[in-house]
Amino acid sequence: MKFTDAVEFSLASLRKRRLRTLLTVSGVMIGIGALVSMISFGKGMQKNVTEAFKASDLFTTLMVMPGGPDVPLRDPDRPGRTVSSGGRRDAVLDDAAVAEIARIPGVRLAYPDVNFPAMVSLGEKEEFRLVQVVPAAIAASGALKLGWGKSYASDDEEGVVVSQSLLRRLGKGEPAAAVGQNLRITSVSIDLGKLAAIDLASLFSGQGFPVAMENYDFPIVGVTEITAFGGGPSPVQNEVLIPPGPARRIKRLPMTSIWDLFRMRDGRLGYSTVSIKLESLRDLERVKSRVGDMGYTTFALADQFEQVTKGFYFMDMVLAAVGMIAIIVAALGIVNTMVMSILERFREIGIMKAVGAGDGDIKRIFFFESGAIGLLGGAAGCVLGWAVSLVINRVVNFYMARQGMPHIEYFAFPFWIFLGAMGFSLLVSLVSGIYPARRAARVDPVVALRHD
Amino acid sequence: MNASPIIQARSLAKTYLIGNVRVAALEDVSLSVDEGRFVAVTGASGSGKSTLLNLLGGLDTPSAGTIEVAGALVSAMDRDALAKYRRFGAGMIFQSFNLVPSRTALENVELPLVFSDVDKKERRRRAAELLDRVGLAHRAGHRPPELSGGEQQRVAVARALVNDPRLLLADEPTGNLDSQTSREIVGLLAELNRSRRLTVVMVSHEESLVREYAQEVVRLRDGRVVGTESWA
Repeated sequence: MKFTDAVEFSLASLRKRRLRTLLTVSGVMIGIGALVSMISFGKGMQKNVTEAFKASDLFTTLMVMPGGPDVPLRDPDRPGRTVSSGGRRDAVLDDAAVAEIARIPGVRLAYPDVNFPAMVSLGEKEEFRLVQVVPAAIAASGALKLGWGKSYASDDEEGVVVSQSLLRRLGKGEPAAAVGQNLRITSVSIDLGKLAAIDLASLFSGQGFPVAMENYDFPIVGVTEITAFGGGPSPVQNEVLIPPGPARRIKRLPMTSIWDLFRMRDGRLGYSTVSIKLESLRDLERVKSRVGDMGYTTFALADQFEQVTKGFYFMDMVLAAVGMIAIIVAALGIVNTMVMSILERFREIGIMKAVGAGDGDIKRIFFFESGAIGLLGGAAGCVLGWAVSLVINRVVNFYMARQGMPHIEYFAFPFWIFLGAMGFSLLVSLVSGIYPARRAARVDPVVALRHD
Repeated sequence: MNASPIIQARSLAKTYLIGNVRVAALEDVSLSVDEGRFVAVTGASGSGKSTLLNLLGGLDTPSAGTIEVAGALVSAMDRDALAKYRRFGAGMIFQSFNLVPSRTALENVELPLVFSDVDKKERRRRAAELLDRVGLAHRAGHRPPELSGGEQQRVAVARALVNDPRLLLADEPTGNLDSQTSREIVGLLAELNRSRRLTVVMVSHEESLVREYAQEVVRLRDGRVVGTESWA
């Protein structure tokens, strides 16, 4: 039997049983549609995160931490976020160390990662935030996405950059209007006057703590946009950024958290983190080993990105597994339809065998029939998956926009998704056709033609 | 007789297992049919006539014995060889016509050619030619439900002959037809037997038709040959 004849026979049979063909194809369509939208969602998320990482220059950022035991990276409440110790216990990240690191070839910029807790206020409302000291060179790089105003031009400029979300919390819905206004930063420092007359008993009971608060006002020069996929140990992840010059004027505690005190050596505290901006990604390994030789622990986001990629791989698998359930149901639908078709066409199969159809011919007719269901369902499923994703994307973005989140394409449709879905659908339908095709080929013509 | 036998069946037996009971449909049947003859097989219902024809047509395989058709040992063929034998070796027609109801008369005649990998144009030509030969050229585009019984059987005859076999097996071809149409159909078989030197084996229990058109008769009872008679 010729290929074209087999196709013609199969299509004729599908046409004859229109409703059932439609229902079976719908089953495949839903399965493939689910799979397509699931995978495109996974790919969309991956694409968004990858692009956010790339846009923010994070790949060329290397973080340096002092040696010693594992310390909580930032947040002691999340013990998972630690960096393994590799360096020497006595390697303190002081200004000399920063200068030495900055001289390593391939390092464009090295700056201490300085944070301090403060209360920030704008008019009536106030919020607690970590204020981050960021050099002008970094603030002006791709790491910051400024929506309004601009970044401070030099390390000594009097000005701060704040995030849009902070402004929102402070009751300023319109970021453009906030540029030029003064942000008040209230810091905590040790009150040396009180320290002299310290009363230990009242100190340890929490009264008469030797601290003082001071207010500093800085004009807001720029506002960062809310980005959907920030996160991660970024060089700039705080909501208030201040250049190093004015930061030096602010009286504050020399640490971010109490954990920093455990790293103290001979009264030398040093910085908890130094960020390195590399000339290019190619310098990463060399700079890493040089810094490691100096006794410090390093942490590169580029390394962690591999973990992220693995995570996405896992996410794809989970999404595909969910989609597979629908595919399995669809495959059972095909088997059911084909078996029904054999029962209905029992006599016709007998006739074909009587006039000389071989087992292979009969198999081929039924195989092509289920294959056609798969191709039709696959094509319809691609359209369905794409359409559903489009609708979900619009609805989600509509609600996200109300939350002040930017527009995001949650789904990505690389060309191979459609090709793969069609191929997979065809494969599933052919596998589903194996049993019915063999059963049809085994029909005994004598039984099928017995006049009844 | 100057012709050599086209069919040689020796000691054929066919038993079916119905439940746990073995039922013998044929027992020790031997048969020889010369090329170009018109042979009738008669017997009461259940005598094994149709079983014998199914064995000769390669639709079924014997439990014992051998069948040789035109020098080929049909009883030893595997499934693929049997399919090929049914395609080219022996054409069959049936009491209930066995046409595919969804296909036109022309497409039904084409069917064996589809499985012979003949291309569409050639298929159409040969099928049309045979439909014309059985006098149904004007009904080519009709589907079986739109045709009378006699017309359907003519389509079946055309289909049986489209691959040019030397043997035509007819299983009670007139069982569903009135007497006038029955005469026409058997007359057509006799005419094809004469003009094409086509060997015809026809199962029938209509003694008058057998007498009029066939040249010899094989009588079966309870799965055994109980007599043969030749008159032409």
